[in-house]
Amino acid sequence: MSLAAQFGERVVEARNLHKTFGDVVAVENLSLHVSSGEVVGLLGPNGAGKTTTIKMLTTLTSIEGGSASVGSFDVVTEGDKVRRSIGLAGQAAAVDDKLTTRENLDLFARLYHLPKSERKNRVEDLIEKFRLTEFADQPVGTLSGGQHRRVDIVAALIANPAAIFLDEPTTGLDPRSRAEVWEEIRLLADKGAAVILTTQYLDEADQLADRIILIDKGKVVAQGSQADLKNQLGRDVLHVRVSDAVDVERVVAVINGGEARVIDEKTIHVPVGSSAKSLAVLGSIRDAGVELDDFSLAKPTLDDVFMAFTDAS
Amino acid sequence: MTTSITPVTSPNNPTSGASFFTDLGTMARRDLMRVMRQPEALTFSLIMGIFFLLLFYYVFGGVIEAGAGIDYIQFLVPGVLVITALNGSTQTGSGLALDLSEGVTDRFRSLPMSQLSVLAGRTIADGVRNFVGLVLLATFGHLLGFRFDSLAGGIGAVLVAAVIGYAFSWINAAIGAKVQNAEMVSMLTMFWLFPLMFASNVFTPTDAMPSWLKAFADNQPISVATEAVRALSGGTDAIESVMLTIAWSIGLVVVFASLAVRSYRRAG
Repeated sequence: MSLAAQFGERVVEARNLHKTFGDVVAVENLSLHVSSGEVVGLLGPNGAGKTTTIKMLTTLTSIEGGSASVGSFDVVTEGDKVRRSIGLAGQAAAVDDKLTTRENLDLFARLYHLPKSERKNRVEDLIEKFRLTEFADQPVGTLSGGQHRRVDIVAALIANPAAIFLDEPTTGLDPRSRAEVWEEIRLLADKGAAVILTTQYLDEADQLADRIILIDKGKVVAQGSQADLKNQLGRDVLHVRVSDAVDVERVVAVINGGEARVIDEKTIHVPVGSSAKSLAVLGSIRDAGVELDDFSLAKPTLDDVFMAFTDAS
Repeated sequence: MTTSITPVTSPNNPTSGASFFTDLGTMARRDLMRVMRQPEALTFSLIMGIFFLLLFYYVFGGVIEAGAGIDYIQFLVPGVLVITALNGSTQTGSGLALDLSEGVTDRFRSLPMSQLSVLAGRTIADGVRNFVGLVLLATFGHLLGFRFDSLAGGIGAVLVAAVIGYAFSWINAAIGAKVQNAEMVSMLTMFWLFPLMFASNVFTPTDAMPSWLKAFADNQPISVATEAVRALSGGTDAIESVMLTIAWSIGLVVVFASLAVRSYRRAG
C-alpha cells in the first residue's frame, strides 16, 4: 500500500525555509509538504524550530529564505489569501475567556467574514459536530483544560480551512482530555483537511500522525511513517539492567558505544545490528565483571528513533 | 478527496483594507461584551474619581477655596472628570498587553482581518465604558453640590472629557503593545500619567506655581481639556479651549495610533 495514494493533493508545501534570530539559526533549509486528509506530526525537542516553522507557514513571522505555499497561494506575497485558507491553534489557547463557546465561534466567524446568512448555521453545525453543546453557553474561562482546548481547535475550523496548524495541541492536558483532542484531530483529517501538528510527545505522534517529520536544531533529520522511521533505524535494541546502579558508568565505558542510552539509574539501551552483536556486548559486560539483573532484545520504539536522530546529549 | 475542501468564505470577500469597518464593528462588539462582563474595570476608575473628589473637596478644599478665592466644587469636578477619563484609558494598555501575552492575538493575526481594528475596537469599547463612568461621576459630583450651568453644557463637558480620554487610550495602547505586560503597563502609569495629572490645573489654579511649571501646566493637554470642561460646565466661552482639546486629541491619536500599530505588528 503506497502512502501517497491514500491522500489528496498537496496543500501545504515548504521549500528550503530559513530563519535566524540573531546568531541562532532557528530553521535551516527545511522542506516539508502536507496533503489533504493527512496528519503530519512535527516532532522535535524544545527549541528544535517547530513553532517557528508553524509561524512562518501561517504568516505570523517573516520568512528569511526559501518559500512556502498553502493551497495555491504564496505565504509571503499572498498572505491575506493564505490567512483565509488556514486555521491556527497556537500554543497558548487563543480564545476569549470572557466569552462563551458560542460567542467565541461567532466572533471568529465574523472575523473570517462569513456571510451573515451562513454564520449561525456554521457555528451551530460545529458545536453539534464536535460535541460542544454541553458547554456552549458557558464562558470559556470556566471550562476544563480539555474543553477549553477543544473550543480553541474548533475555532480554527470556522472557515473550513484547507490547512489546519496545531501547535502542541495537548500540552498540559490530562490523559483523558488528550484522548478527546486526538479524536477531534482525527476527525478533521477524515473530513479532508491537511493537518500539521507539532508535539514533543512521541506517543502523540505515534497515535495521530500519518507521517512524522523529525526536526532537530532547525533541520529535518528524518521523516516517514512510524514504521518507516523504525526501519530506517533498522536495528534491534538490547535492554540491559544492572544489579548495582554504580555499574551503569562501567557498562557504558565497556561497550564503548556513543549510542548507548542510559534510561534510568539501572537501565541501558544499546542499539545492536545483529544477535551476534548483542552476544558480543553481553560478553564484554560479563568480562568486565558487571552483574546484570536482566536483559532483553527489543524492536526499536519511536523513542529510540527520536534519540538516535536527534542530538540530545 | 480534494473536492471536499471548499472554503466557506467567498473568494470575492473584501480584503483587509476594505473590511476595516466590518472588523472594527466586530472587535468593538467583542470588547464591549468583555467590558460588560467585567464591571469591576468600570468601578476601578470610578472609585479613583470619587476618591479624588472626596479627598480634595473635604481635605484640601477649604484651604484652596480660601487661598484662591474660588467655588472649589465647581472648579474640582470638571478636572476630576478629565483625570477619571485618563485613568480609565490606562485599561486599554493593560487589556491589550494581556491579550498580547495570552495568545489570542496570534489568532487575530492569523485571520484575514484588519489588524488595526484589533486596536481600534478596543479603544472604542474602552471609550464607551469611560463615558458611562463619567456620567456616574458627574452624578456623584451633583450630590456634593456641583451643578452644570445647563444640560447641554453638561453633556458637552462629559463628551469632551471622554474625547481626551479616548486620545489617551491610544497612548496606552502604544505602551501596551510595546511592553506586552499588563502589570508593567499599570506601573508605568505612575511615572508618566500621575506627574502629568498633578502638574496641571486639575486640582488647583496654576497661578501659585513656579513660572516654569506654570508655563508647562497651562499648556499641556490635561489642563487644556480641563479648561474646556470647566467652560462648558460653567456656561462660559468654551470654543477656543474645546477646539484646542480636539486638536490635541487628533494629534495624540495620529502619533500614538501609528506607534501602537507598529509595535503590535512586531509583537510576538
